[in-house]
Amino acid sequence: MKKTSLNRREFLTRTAQRGALVASGGLLWAYLLQQQAQATATAIRPPGALAEADFNASCIKCGQCVRACPYDTLKLAPVGDTAAIGTPYFTPREVPCYMCEDIPCKQACPTGALTPQLSRINDSRMGLAVIDIENCLSWQGLRCEICHRECPVQGKAISVEHHPRKLSKHAMFVPLVHSEACTGCGICEKACPTDEAAIRVVPPDLVQGKIGSHYRLGWKNEAGITKDFKPAAKIKSPDDQPAGGLDYLNKGEL
Amino acid sequence: MSQTRREFLKSSAAASAAVAMGLPISQTVAAAAKEAEADWQWDKGVCRFCGTGCGIMLATKDGRVVATKGDPDAPVNRGLNCIKGYFNGKILYGKDRLTQPLLRMKNGKFDKQGQFQAVSWKRAFDEMEGQFRKTYNELGPHGVAIFGSGQYTIPEGYAAAKLMKAGFRSNNIDPNARHCMASAVVGFIQTFGIDEPAGNYDDIEYTDTVVTWGANMAECHPILWARVSDRRLSDDNVKVINLTTSSNQTSDIADEEIVFKPGTDLAIWNYLAREAIKRDAVNHDFVKKHCVFATGPYDIGYGMRGTSKYAYAAEKDTQARELEITLDKDEAIAQRKTAGEKVKQNHRSKAMKHWLISFEEFKKGVEPYTLDFVAQLSKGDQDESLQSHKQKLQALADVYLQKNRKVISFWTMGMNQHYRGSWVNEQAYMLHLLLGKQAQPGSGAFSLTGQPSACGTAREVGTFAHRLPADLVVFNPKHRARSEQLWKLPAKTLNPKVGSHITKIMRDLEDGKVKWAWVQVNNPFQATANANHWLKAARKMDNFIICSDPYPTISGKVADLILPTAMIFEKWGLYGNAERRTQAWRQQTNPPGEAMGDVWQILEFAKRFKLKDVWGDSAVPGLKAAGFEDGKLASVLADAEKMGYSPEDNLYDVLFATQENRKVSWPDNSVSKGHANHIAEKLADGWFPEKAMFNEYRQFGVGHQHDLAEFDTYYRDDVRGLRWPVVNGKETRWRFNEKYDPYVKKGEGISFYGKALKALPSGNLDGVTDKNKTKLAGKAKIFFRPYAAPPEQPDENYDLWMSTGRVLEHWHTGTMTQRVPELHRAVPNAQLFMHPDDAEKRGMVRNDVAVVESRRGKFKALIETQGRNSPPKGYTFIAFFDEAAFVNKVCLDATCPMSKETDFKKAAVKVYKA
Repeated sequence: MKKTSLNRREFLTRTAQRGALVASGGLLWAYLLQQQAQATATAIRPPGALAEADFNASCIKCGQCVRACPYDTLKLAPVGDTAAIGTPYFTPREVPCYMCEDIPCKQACPTGALTPQLSRINDSRMGLAVIDIENCLSWQGLRCEICHRECPVQGKAISVEHHPRKLSKHAMFVPLVHSEACTGCGICEKACPTDEAAIRVVPPDLVQGKIGSHYRLGWKNEAGITKDFKPAAKIKSPDDQPAGGLDYLNKGEL
Repeated sequence: MSQTRREFLKSSAAASAAVAMGLPISQTVAAAAKEAEADWQWDKGVCRFCGTGCGIMLATKDGRVVATKGDPDAPVNRGLNCIKGYFNGKILYGKDRLTQPLLRMKNGKFDKQGQFQAVSWKRAFDEMEGQFRKTYNELGPHGVAIFGSGQYTIPEGYAAAKLMKAGFRSNNIDPNARHCMASAVVGFIQTFGIDEPAGNYDDIEYTDTVVTWGANMAECHPILWARVSDRRLSDDNVKVINLTTSSNQTSDIADEEIVFKPGTDLAIWNYLAREAIKRDAVNHDFVKKHCVFATGPYDIGYGMRGTSKYAYAAEKDTQARELEITLDKDEAIAQRKTAGEKVKQNHRSKAMKHWLISFEEFKKGVEPYTLDFVAQLSKGDQDESLQSHKQKLQALADVYLQKNRKVISFWTMGMNQHYRGSWVNEQAYMLHLLLGKQAQPGSGAFSLTGQPSACGTAREVGTFAHRLPADLVVFNPKHRARSEQLWKLPAKTLNPKVGSHITKIMRDLEDGKVKWAWVQVNNPFQATANANHWLKAARKMDNFIICSDPYPTISGKVADLILPTAMIFEKWGLYGNAERRTQAWRQQTNPPGEAMGDVWQILEFAKRFKLKDVWGDSAVPGLKAAGFEDGKLASVLADAEKMGYSPEDNLYDVLFATQENRKVSWPDNSVSKGHANHIAEKLADGWFPEKAMFNEYRQFGVGHQHDLAEFDTYYRDDVRGLRWPVVNGKETRWRFNEKYDPYVKKGEGISFYGKALKALPSGNLDGVTDKNKTKLAGKAKIFFRPYAAPPEQPDENYDLWMSTGRVLEHWHTGTMTQRVPELHRAVPNAQLFMHPDDAEKRGMVRNDVAVVESRRGKFKALIETQGRNSPPKGYTFIAFFDEAAFVNKVCLDATCPMSKETDFKKAAVKVYKA
């Protein structure tokens, strides 16, 4: 089994590389590469991958990471995929990242596209799991929570909260993903028992918001009243600065 | 602690690089980022927006507010904010902040037709003073006016009111809060003899039932609504019922939504009272001990002008109803009269009159309000069956009348902005008092306010045309005497004639009775109904209008002089919220450019007037009061000299920087903790104006049922506001209740001890029969008030209702929130919400541009047929924040004739494709 898949992997690797060679004679290759790099970054990359633009610039499509992966997780992107041709990615629902402690893919990378700075696999951020709560069985009240139990960063990346269920006298055990611990390995997605996975790994940029830098959550931020406040020096706007709002005030109808 | 700027940049660059690399922020980088926040200086503050009064914390660095958070120690909100509150830190930094005074100029001189040009503060005050003197000498104290605010800080409102009333001897100061809770005030004063709610927000956690009447709390009191929602979710016995004229988000968590026809709330309350009697649910013991019954005249007009002189041709039919109406069939039943009867509105100027009646008379009054009558009258959704509406009304009665069920009724603008707003407020107390469900934890009729200090400043300080601090009024000689004593004024300095309410100030501008007006902390030219009249009056009449504002607004645009003004966290201040909670904050940063706080503007202006300029003889047309010559205020200069004043003393020294106040020194080592005070520093007189004025002001209330704590108390680290009366350092949670309120004597249980209007003649439903006055110490009044029809209703020409109000994302006229890019992006336009069939009938679909036109004017807006509001057929709603959709050009300036609060909820309009 292992042997076959290695062959298969080699085949795929070589196919992709051959495709690159075939096309590299003309502008087509460069064109495709450019188009691909600009495409929406939806691919899930191996652990330690640089940010998408940097990764595309650094990855030489050598396939070393794919060869190093003991689980056949990684593949090289074929022509027409959302990832740039020849770059490594994986599809969690097929084969997730099993989070090898020694991170062989990263070790195999000759260019640092998979950064050598990554030393602990739990620090990797390949993607972020998101839950479709309309189709997640646990969110309906069924006792599933497979994702929670299968999660390799159990209790941290996926926790379970107990919510009252209005329809009956049973609590619901609802899974919640926490981005500060989720590595994006995709084991949850692979394990999810619904026909189409109700938990999926996506690049964090695609789904993650950011609270304004002008605001802190009052119950998390601990700063209290500053005891010895130091007023700032009075900052005056320069005299030659035009008065604000004059255009609005002087022009236009009421 | 002290991290260099370069280190900070490096650490934040490292932090962002780590994120970009698909790595988590390492602990060292996170620590560095945290250290970058280590020199942020935090302090407590209050949200700038609604009447809920959420506590916030502010961080400043290098003289800028860099962050805010909900204050986890604030009992109102426990660390939460709504999405407006989330942006408190950003409202200061709009791109077009005004930083210099701007005066209309032509050829180097002031010219009403000139363009705005930057001038110095000195030039600005020179012009303002010259124009003031011209008008004051020509027209007297009531030729000048101030448009005040429910968003004034307490010291600001106090300074403005004192300057006008004690200095200029003018009662022409009235706040935008008139538009927001004046009807609530009349309800409180007439019923209890004292203003503001008995209960507090803790009622939410104690109650079993929340009934909202014309209050879209889900959007307009978002954090309070989160408390109500939590109460509903945590106990299945709890019921929430939303009475509204248009389906809104408050219905989302409600067990029942009752959509009623505009104005018929008057009938629904009476149905409930009738049911209480019929089902024997009246708490007779409570009523006998603590209440009396009362009523007043019905023919009180609608607060419109009594003359058609100024009306546009199209307005004349509506205006005519001010003087005489023809009773429709429902009014006839409701008022025990005949349909078609013509009724002259004879009590327009005596609308407040009321007298005692018996319980039997009260019963007679509510008798016509049967379920059948009220259901057909009040059904607001033509697609709902009468049967369904009836069942809902019965269910409503069930929850109110259920013996041991606690009930809180909440209301805001639907009941306050109402042509019979005072009546409908009184009806809420009517039912709660009949049932004995008032002034107890979890039970009570609770009037919510809209603005952050409508209670704390406008009402408590008394920045109204008829008020003085702590519920005192200008037309009561004893109240004036007490104020004159506290303010160290010669007797009869204060003017006994009530000044112009805010809509009347606009009308006074139109007919040339007011020629100098100062706009403070509000935007009345966008926010006053029937705006076309007032815009024209401002620009075409001979007058001088000053607008103090941090940003350019419509009011700035029609003004002659604009004063750049400091915003909330750029000055010291206190606000009082809807549950009587007074909360304080310090100055966090200096205002930009030459902008200055309102207190400084008021005090600086006061310096320009000597006693001899303002305390001599002056004419006040219409003044009629015991001890005063008709139409005149006599000189008090001689008496002033006896008190040690000189005619050469200026108002700043006499009213503000008094010997006593100068003892309250700045720099301050009691509460400032190093915070600056740009006003004290600019005055450079060594005193602390906000503290001195607050402590002077609190003397009005201490020992008089309105006790506030000392200034310093509110600034303590462990205090997050206190609910007055604060007696012996303790706040009062439920007033009138012996268990909680130190003003209720031992053994009384409940005492409605308010002092106003507590001696009344007696009579029947039709009038007074015995002029002898009965004293009512300790009692509340249960009013009978009938249903009356709105002065303007949809007809064949103007076939839709239009109501206006707020959305969660924007505050009032959008001056602040529209300058927050994120809020503007989220809700860039005010949309006209209407039923999809109504749109289709007019050949329109969602997002079409429509013209909305009334007898008074028109504006354009986008149609919305889905989304947050789902009006019934025949009804439209649009928020008023967006000056591009100038809603108030269309609104009717009818008011409750008692409170003079405008009914913004009931204009008849037509809507057609643009």
